[in-house]
Amino acid sequence: MRFLVCLKQVPDKDSRYSLDDSSCWIKEQDLTFETNEADLYALEQALRLKERHGGEVVVLSLGDDRVLKCIKHGLAMGADCAIHLRVPGSGWRDAFATARVMAQAIRRRSVDLVFAGVQSEDLAHAQTGTILAHFLGWPHATIVLEVQVDPDFVTIVVKRELEGNLFERCQLSLPSVLTIQSGPNQPRYPTLKGIMQAKRKEIVTLTPEDLGLRDQDLRATGSRLVPGRLFFPAKKKRTVMLEGSDEEMAGALIEKLRKEAKVL
Amino acid sequence: MEHLTNRIWVLLEHRDGRLKPVSREAVTCAQALAGPLKMSVSLVLLGDHTIEGLTHQVDREYGLEVLAIRTESGAVCTPEIQCEVLRQSIAQEAPYLVLMGHSYQVIDFAPRLAAQLDRAFLSNCLGHEIRDGKLHFIRPVFGGKLHQEMTFLGEPPFIVSIQPGAYSNQILRTEDSPGVVWKDIPPLKQNPGRRVLEIVEEASKKVDLTQASVVVAGGRGLASREKFQLILDLAEVLGASVGASRPPVDGGWLPKEHQIGSSGQTVAPRLYIACGISGAIQHLVGITSSQCIVAINKDPNAPIFNVADYGIVGDVFKVVPLLIELARELRR
Ligand SMILES: Cc1cc2nc3c(=O)[nH]c(=O)nc-3n(C[C@H](O)[C@H](O)[C@H](O)COP(=O)(O)OP(=O)(O)OC[C@H]3O[C@@H](n4cnc5c(N)ncnc54)[C@H](O)[C@@H]3O)c2cc1C
Ligand SMILES: Nc1ncnc2c1ncn2[C@@H]1O[C@H](COP(=O)(O)O)[C@@H](O)[C@H]1O
Repeated sequence: MRFLVCLKQVPDKDSRYSLDDSSCWIKEQDLTFETNEADLYALEQALRLKERHGGEVVVLSLGDDRVLKCIKHGLAMGADCAIHLRVPGSGWRDAFATARVMAQAIRRRSVDLVFAGVQSEDLAHAQTGTILAHFLGWPHATIVLEVQVDPDFVTIVVKRELEGNLFERCQLSLPSVLTIQSGPNQPRYPTLKGIMQAKRKEIVTLTPEDLGLRDQDLRATGSRLVPGRLFFPAKKKRTVMLEGSDEEMAGALIEKLRKEAKVL
Repeated sequence: MEHLTNRIWVLLEHRDGRLKPVSREAVTCAQALAGPLKMSVSLVLLGDHTIEGLTHQVDREYGLEVLAIRTESGAVCTPEIQCEVLRQSIAQEAPYLVLMGHSYQVIDFAPRLAAQLDRAFLSNCLGHEIRDGKLHFIRPVFGGKLHQEMTFLGEPPFIVSIQPGAYSNQILRTEDSPGVVWKDIPPLKQNPGRRVLEIVEEASKKVDLTQASVVVAGGRGLASREKFQLILDLAEVLGASVGASRPPVDGGWLPKEHQIGSSGQTVAPRLYIACGISGAIQHLVGITSSQCIVAINKDPNAPIFNVADYGIVGDVFKVVPLLIELARELRR
């Protein structure tokens, strides 16, 4: 079986943001980037399926050359090869346009199962994988925790998360697209050997032109959404921020919880 | 879609004959938009014959137009069926805006529905603004640390989901009750691409956090199972229950029953202390009924501080041991 995993590069979770001059995007220079967490869980699922059933794991990332870090990390974790969908620049990206380019690249290969994350940590559209399934004309399932390939290799059974402690088991025919949610299968860390081997693995670079797509198919201008200004949210509550040394803050908190809020 | 009606649709999600709270919040959003945009609101229910009772209830409660789409396509709908039924109805009725709550079910079908209609889907919005007659929505990005304003381009229908808790769920009843419009769609062939096998409830009720009066919760900031012990210690001296965000549970630091949020438990304690938790919406929906929220986080921009009553910007490994010590002294 051939598994393909979409890896998106996003700013580090603990990033502190500031806005650029347009106020429509963040200053990226000072940030560090990592692989979207749900995507690492997706890759872990794919690697486990490959270990069990054989086959190949391909990782795919769309972005400028910065995303090569993400691709190399995926290869070091154990993926066999990679596709870099190279598009210029960074900034806000439309899920519709991203999925369209990905579908074009995936259609050209024989892939049995595509994995994406449930949602990206930066833009959080929670859409790309599902729209990708639409473009490919394949079934999909979202918020997936576990995947089992049926013995016939024609169908799979997945466990999905529903709200309020409910879970759904459903069967999908292959090929299909799954969006993966974090869960007990913790993503592995690359080993030293994995990192060494990754250097020899193939990375295919494709541009939208290579795929017969025009620029407007993937930039925001080709989409039906216009991103506007970014801003820091206003607080909903009047939060009392405690000040001083750790000792002073801890003391003040206990005091306030007893005397002011009367909850201790 | 030539004759676009001046209608705002709200898709009402239901389970076991009851509406999801976020669906009511979507109605509030629609009602807020209807006036300035000079449009009317239609509430849309989708289901098999069992939706009748709920449909009449919704009609009585809101006095708004209700569109009930009935189809006998199996009690457990797959996204393929939902998409197909809604795509047909939207193409026929041509609403201007289709609003829904950003639920797990919506995540499962709405992107595909929008793509089938060749429209964008603006997900997880938490507010709106009408400027110069133009409609803008606001959505959280970068883990909620920033908000972004978004505008639609091109032709309606526009498809939008709203974040749980962003709008009030108070029912604003209108006096004119246009009544219910029934629409029957012939059974669709169950798409063989995806089939539901079963729905199961899993987490054991061993730990019932819903009744706890004090909850001390830890997040990824606690860094490891060993260090998470600090949370257990603070909970112990305060006589509190132990909660967690998702990462500690995923990491196996403590059992799933302790998870708080949209995939876990909902708590309503007198006091909730969040340590090393950033405040993602999926966590916040589980704690908003808390009387007093304390946040301890090293990042002053963590969204948890937007909902906290008391905040400490600091390192949990320094602050929490001090709290444990102070709480011990209190007990003596
Ligand atoms: C469909 C879906 C369902 C979900 N369901 C749930 C759910 O039920 N419950 C849930 O919680 N999440 C849920 N999530 C995940 C949610 O989106 C967040 O990823 C998660 O809540 C983040 O947990 P966290 O705050 O512990 O981690 P992070 O977001 O990584 O935050 C860690 C925080 O700790 C702080 N920190 C780090 N070190 C220290 C230190 N030494 N001292 C002080 N502070 C420190 C950091 O500044 C940061 O703010 C769900 C997600 C999806 C997509
Ligand atoms: N630029 C990208 N490159 C690779 N994968 C992506 C990209 N954008 C989105 N994805 C995938 O789609 C998932 C959902 O993203 P989103 O729809 O933005 O929430 C991510 O977790 C990735 O798996």
